[in-house]
Amino acid sequence: MVGSLGGYEMQFDFFTWFGGLWDWIWGILLWFWGIIKWLVIWILDIINGIWALAAVPENFMFLFRAVVMPGLIFLLLALIFTVWFTRKIWARVQDRRGPTHLGKYGGYQLFADAVKLMAKETIIPDKAKRWMYRILPSLLLIIVLIPFAFIPWDPYWNIMGPPGQAFGDLSVSLVLIFALLTAVPVFSLLIGWVTGSKYSLIGGFRSANNQFASEIPMVISSVGPAMLAGSLSMYSIVAAQTSIWYIVLLPINFATFLVASIASVGTFPFDAPVADSEIIFGWRTELSGIYFTVVYFAEFAEQMLYSAIMVALFFGGFNGLPFLPGIVNFLIKWLVVYFIFTVVTSSFYRLRQDQIVHLCWKYLLPLSILNVVLVMFAIVYIPGLLPLVIGG
Amino acid sequence: MSPDILDEASEIWFGPQHVSAHGWATKLTLVGDYIVECDPNAGYFHRSAEKCLEFRNFRQGSMILERICMMEAFLAEYPYIAAVEKIVDLEVPERAKIMRTIMLEFNRIHSLQFWWGQFAGELGLFAMLLWPWVDREYTLDAFETLTGSRHTISYETPGGVKYDFTPTFLSKMEIALSRVKERMPVFEDMLAGSPTFRLRTEGVGHYTLKQALKWGLSGPNVKACGLPMDLRKDDPDPNLAYDMIDWEVPTIHNENHPGECDAFDRLLQRFKEIETSLDIIDKLLPLLPEGPIVDPKARAKANRLPEGEGYGRVEGTRGVTTVWLKTMEKAQTPWRAKIRGPCFASYYSLKHIVPGARFADFPAIFGSLDPYPGWWDR
Amino acid sequence: MGFVGNLGDIFKILKHVFRQVFRRPFTYFYPFEDRPYPERTRGRHIHVRENCTACGQCVRACPVAAIRIDKEDKKFEKDAALYFDYTRCIFCGDCVSSCRFDALYHTPIVDISEGDRDDLVYGPDKIETLDRDPLEWRGRRFR
Repeated sequence: MVGSLGGYEMQFDFFTWFGGLWDWIWGILLWFWGIIKWLVIWILDIINGIWALAAVPENFMFLFRAVVMPGLIFLLLALIFTVWFTRKIWARVQDRRGPTHLGKYGGYQLFADAVKLMAKETIIPDKAKRWMYRILPSLLLIIVLIPFAFIPWDPYWNIMGPPGQAFGDLSVSLVLIFALLTAVPVFSLLIGWVTGSKYSLIGGFRSANNQFASEIPMVISSVGPAMLAGSLSMYSIVAAQTSIWYIVLLPINFATFLVASIASVGTFPFDAPVADSEIIFGWRTELSGIYFTVVYFAEFAEQMLYSAIMVALFFGGFNGLPFLPGIVNFLIKWLVVYFIFTVVTSSFYRLRQDQIVHLCWKYLLPLSILNVVLVMFAIVYIPGLLPLVIGG
Repeated sequence: MSPDILDEASEIWFGPQHVSAHGWATKLTLVGDYIVECDPNAGYFHRSAEKCLEFRNFRQGSMILERICMMEAFLAEYPYIAAVEKIVDLEVPERAKIMRTIMLEFNRIHSLQFWWGQFAGELGLFAMLLWPWVDREYTLDAFETLTGSRHTISYETPGGVKYDFTPTFLSKMEIALSRVKERMPVFEDMLAGSPTFRLRTEGVGHYTLKQALKWGLSGPNVKACGLPMDLRKDDPDPNLAYDMIDWEVPTIHNENHPGECDAFDRLLQRFKEIETSLDIIDKLLPLLPEGPIVDPKARAKANRLPEGEGYGRVEGTRGVTTVWLKTMEKAQTPWRAKIRGPCFASYYSLKHIVPGARFADFPAIFGSLDPYPGWWDR
Repeated sequence: MGFVGNLGDIFKILKHVFRQVFRRPFTYFYPFEDRPYPERTRGRHIHVRENCTACGQCVRACPVAAIRIDKEDKKFEKDAALYFDYTRCIFCGDCVSSCRFDALYHTPIVDISEGDRDDLVYGPDKIETLDRDPLEWRGRRFR
């Protein structure tokens, strides 16, 4: 509507416009409010969706199993127990007692040590690459803790159930575990390099050399039980050992796997990367405070992991005494295997790096290939073997 | 190796703060894993023992000497006492001579037990670090029963010894020695019989006899090459009892490389030394006569010494240890004392032994020469 | 060094280590157990003031000048007060062997650690008696 003021034609009515200004502003505000409302409703929908998903009993139990038991919390407590156990065994080998004063039999010593180490000042060397130096040790611990998800602790109460179920084990979980473990020496090399000190660099190179020597016999040694069980999934290998444990059939395979896994962890006879008397502490020399704690626990977590893999592959996992729950069987066997692991590692002198490579390539590798060939022939030519080893 | 390879060499200080460098430093030039040059650098442990001796009289001086190397405290004190006895004419009773010799050999066993633990620990086996040291506890118990102190014993004095053998001490010494004897097979299994130990020490750190004599090595480091050069036989001290009995110098003859020795031979040599010491003690104990243990005029004569020079020598665990004293007329303290430690020669001989070995062999070579920082830095 | 020979050696070593794990350890559970100290152990001194004659031979014999004598401080007719500085004492035994009057002895007490450095200089009140304050640790009394 165009008003007329004294004969002049106005194309734009200011007062109408002014009257409509407030509506326009209000419209913009409503538009913003609409976006915010949309955002909030979207977020609430997502949370609602996750909540509904988690409330489904299967999913909830998976979360519970993955985080509490036998997941993260159980693993951390088991890790603390492992370090205490190792220190006590090392002490008994050396004719002394281990930690005794804190808590009964020294149980709280590890907590005190962890608190002390975390409270220490973290010194970052001048020549180190700072952000890599901060991130890499934690990544190492994460990569070592992930394969624990695939270990079959119990027929029902484990993180990955039997293959084929909702949260079933992958059909190639053995391969996945070794793929993750192969990354560990790469991290050692990287930590040794970014530290910027010559001793760490030597330690890092030796660690990469260790991987080159030891991972191959270890992976080949694990093929024996996989062939006998007929599958590469950890759960199936354990479930197949109901009638007979594979160590009875494959003792030499167990020996080569034991030696190769000690070499792969990088502990005593093969600990040239962290040789105490030559390169102070190898690639771990300059780590201090929280980084050292993490790396220290990662080494013990790796040892735990290899013991658990050995129990699963050779000792029958959760098969054992029928009146005990599966996980108790597993833990008893795991304690015994870990004890053997620690005592064997404390009995031999430290080999030089080139001697480690010689040993692994000239002795372990032919032995493990021989094992695989023997298993192949046994499966084909020995009647009655196959029903024995593929259990119910 | 061509000189161009030194372009990619890296230098690393095997410095004083290092687990197996017991207070010394070396600048190593590495090419890859091999050591090309080794430049030893002593002096981090110097405590001016020779100057301290100039302010202490002749009974107090042995306190300084025994603290230079506490592991072989008897063997470290003795050259000083022998030097004083050469300046002044003192008559050492027979009982004291035999007691001194027994304790010197007992101390040699103790020092070698310490070395076993240290060497095995450096090579990585922490079990073998502490097992010989458990046996050392029995030995130190015996020392404490005799003298009152485990390491810094202050047992010898010019003219004799200070403390007499008691039946308790004799029984404790027998317990300690029998424990050494019964653990020898275990240690032979764990050391000489261990395949990993042989891998680490065979062919490592070898030198010929001529080189050893040129560098001034002595003691087990030379005897392992096959030459029975032992001060106890070549120049027996009249104040000790080595010439009273019949014994053989321990030597290793290796058929694979005669005239040379490597780290493994030196280990075997030290096993034999312990056996010889046990043998000497067994032969000397029944010969112990009754009598005084110190010259009665010693306190008066050793107070103010006439002018003269005295040169006392003893075959220590690591080689020949000597002390040279010079006194002025009616002096209560020496004018100058010079101590020669055997490890000084073995430490500087590293400069020639080590190049060509790998970096990881360095603790093996150094440990097998039985280092002790007290002797080269004093 | 055949393969079978090596294997035999390895099993012998493993046997030794396994046996060691199950034996009682050699260490004493200090401070609840302690080893027996022989009577000649050169621990802290004790000064028997009745026999002292203030001759000062112990002060002369000490290699590190850890003994100080105060001849004015007399309790009986001819004695003196001694101050032992345990931050300097090397427990060599020369002072005890130089005393002709049976006034100075070593005792087998070796746990003399203190919280304050000045408490380690034993004056005449401390050096003449073996009594000392017990140490409280975790609700138990030691010494």
